[in-house]
Amino acid sequence: MEPAATPRPHERLQPRVVPYWLLADGLSSLVVSALAWYLGRPLLAKYWDGWSPAWDNVLLGICLGLVALAVLTPPLSYARWRFGYLGDLLLMRYGILFVEERAVPVRRMQHVDLVRGPLERLFGLATLVVFTAGNEGSAFRVPGLSATRAQELRDQIVEARGDGRRS
Amino acid sequence: MTDAGPEPLPAGTPPADAPATSPPPPARAEAAVLARGHLHPAILILRLFDVLRQVGFLLVVGLVVERWFLVVALVAFLLQLGYAVARYLTLEYTLTADELRVREGILERQERRIPLDRIQDLGLESTLLRRALGLTVVLVETASGRGVEARLDALSRADADHLRDVLLAARSERLAAAPATASAAADGVADAGGAPAALPAPAPEPEWLVHQSRAGELFVRGLTDLRLGGFVITGFAAIELLDQLGFAARIAGVVDSAQDWVTQFPPVVTVAILIGVVVLVLGFGVVTATLGNLVQFHGFVLVLRGDVLQRRYGLLTTRQKTLPRARIQRVTVEQPWLRRLLGVASVKADSAGGSRTQGEDTSGGWDVVVPLTRLPDADALLPALLPGLESQAFAWQRGSRRLIARLALQGVVLALLAGAAALGAGAGTGIALAALLFVPLWALLGLLTWINLGFALGGPFLALRHGIVGRHLAYVPTARVQAVVVGQGPFAQLLGLADLTVYVMGGSPTRLPDLTLADARQLAHAIAERAAIAAAAEW
Repeated sequence: MEPAATPRPHERLQPRVVPYWLLADGLSSLVVSALAWYLGRPLLAKYWDGWSPAWDNVLLGICLGLVALAVLTPPLSYARWRFGYLGDLLLMRYGILFVEERAVPVRRMQHVDLVRGPLERLFGLATLVVFTAGNEGSAFRVPGLSATRAQELRDQIVEARGDGRRS
Repeated sequence: MTDAGPEPLPAGTPPADAPATSPPPPARAEAAVLARGHLHPAILILRLFDVLRQVGFLLVVGLVVERWFLVVALVAFLLQLGYAVARYLTLEYTLTADELRVREGILERQERRIPLDRIQDLGLESTLLRRALGLTVVLVETASGRGVEARLDALSRADADHLRDVLLAARSERLAAAPATASAAADGVADAGGAPAALPAPAPEPEWLVHQSRAGELFVRGLTDLRLGGFVITGFAAIELLDQLGFAARIAGVVDSAQDWVTQFPPVVTVAILIGVVVLVLGFGVVTATLGNLVQFHGFVLVLRGDVLQRRYGLLTTRQKTLPRARIQRVTVEQPWLRRLLGVASVKADSAGGSRTQGEDTSGGWDVVVPLTRLPDADALLPALLPGLESQAFAWQRGSRRLIARLALQGVVLALLAGAAALGAGAGTGIALAALLFVPLWALLGLLTWINLGFALGGPFLALRHGIVGRHLAYVPTARVQAVVVGQGPFAQLLGLADLTVYVMGGSPTRLPDLTLADARQLAHAIAERAAIAAAAEW
């Protein structure tokens, strides 16, 4: 094995991915928490005999935990995310509790997708999805790219794939 | 290795059903037709049986209960039979130098084109009934991961053999025509210009016998094939069924009386009776497993013809499967604990065709390359599957010792959770303390895992050894790697450990657990770099 230091991805996502994630993922958990607290709690208290103030605290804890998680995850996730396109390899590193570092040889990619949801478009963001021929876990996503950077990456990949093609 | 040609090729003599007289190609893109044919007429007899079986119930109802059911049966019979006849009449397959075309359908014509590049495996299967009629089912597998892409049920034996031989020859010609890509292009693009001009009948290449199973080996395979889990499930299902049928109470009564009957003996006899029952159950499992293995893998032969491996086996349902060596994504030498004790192993090869989880047999044993043999023999025949393996010296490295700590830590967490749960449920402190046993147990598990864990990168191969009581060896050609992932769970982050997962086409991913983070990163990079270089060379 080569003793040389392994190249690491160093490019970061767009910072505006944090408000995007907050809005996209955080909103839903906020809605769920609010529903559970303002709708679920009175119903449970009314129709379930086993209800006691202790359960109140548990439910409150769960709701607050959910909201806290939704608020805390995006900045942490953003801080961890690195990607890079180095020497025919697409590298990415991400994750908070479960950290993953992925390396995909560009020429092994089957196709490359550029995905932009409505909310993503609002933020001027794009997600790059590359597919390999593997069966499980064959799709690799890089979220939170600026639209121009995503297109650039895609073109780079397509070019690298097509470069050595026999005519 | 001995040269054995048990089945001579029908070289240059195409069967009557598949005229090799290719019509002149209408367009430049259209390649010469190498084989063309229809299903064998005898399949109609089988279809007739099928249809009769399907309408049998209606027929019985019609005869016994209501006369008008006979009409329904007749209509259903005619419809089904008509469909079968129509399918038989319209299905036509064509093999050109570029692709395999299967056309069928009356109202909705469907033509399926499978480029030869994409064909991973070709299987021939023949059940007892089909064999009696001289029929063979042809299964075409592609890398789509869905397994069987096209199924020709059924051709005459001669047609099937001819199709296989022509297809293999055409493909090896294509590979030879593409420069420096002989090992190539599991995911290659179809090169339209590379079609060879003229393809005569396949040249008969010598066949090398790689492995032949002896009955003794299959017998041992059956003996060591303990599917106790299956037994427990079967027993449970049986009890449930009896419960639903209302036998439960009666059984409980029987059990009670049996208990009374047993307790009247001294304890020694009781234990003996219990052991006897267990032995009886185990014995039944061993006998069925042994018979099953003997029937399934009867006369197993693995031969190498050119660059293509071929397997032939089966007593009732005979199976033939080709596996181009270039398509092998991973080879595993598997030794569950019982087989490890006996020093025997089975060898499996993953092609890109289908996926499976480790240690499991796919139906029909499609991925089994060697059902069972002594470990040195298994090691000796690996180079026949992965050429170049014999010249690689693997410098085995161990995983990190910290993996024992990781598992012990998990044991602590488990013990705390279990203990708390036991106390919460109102169990005594004795039981709660017993939960502490998780810690040494998990530590022992970690120790065993660490002892068996090893990895090595030798030239174009990644080798992995793992197991707890048994042992599994896996070889992955790095050139076929699709992606490499280094992952760290929460415990692993705490201890500076990491898992390495290697993805190949089709097959299930290969995982190397509990390396140090630095080792994992270095290894991942080395593998990814080799894969990238190999991918670049294939273009």
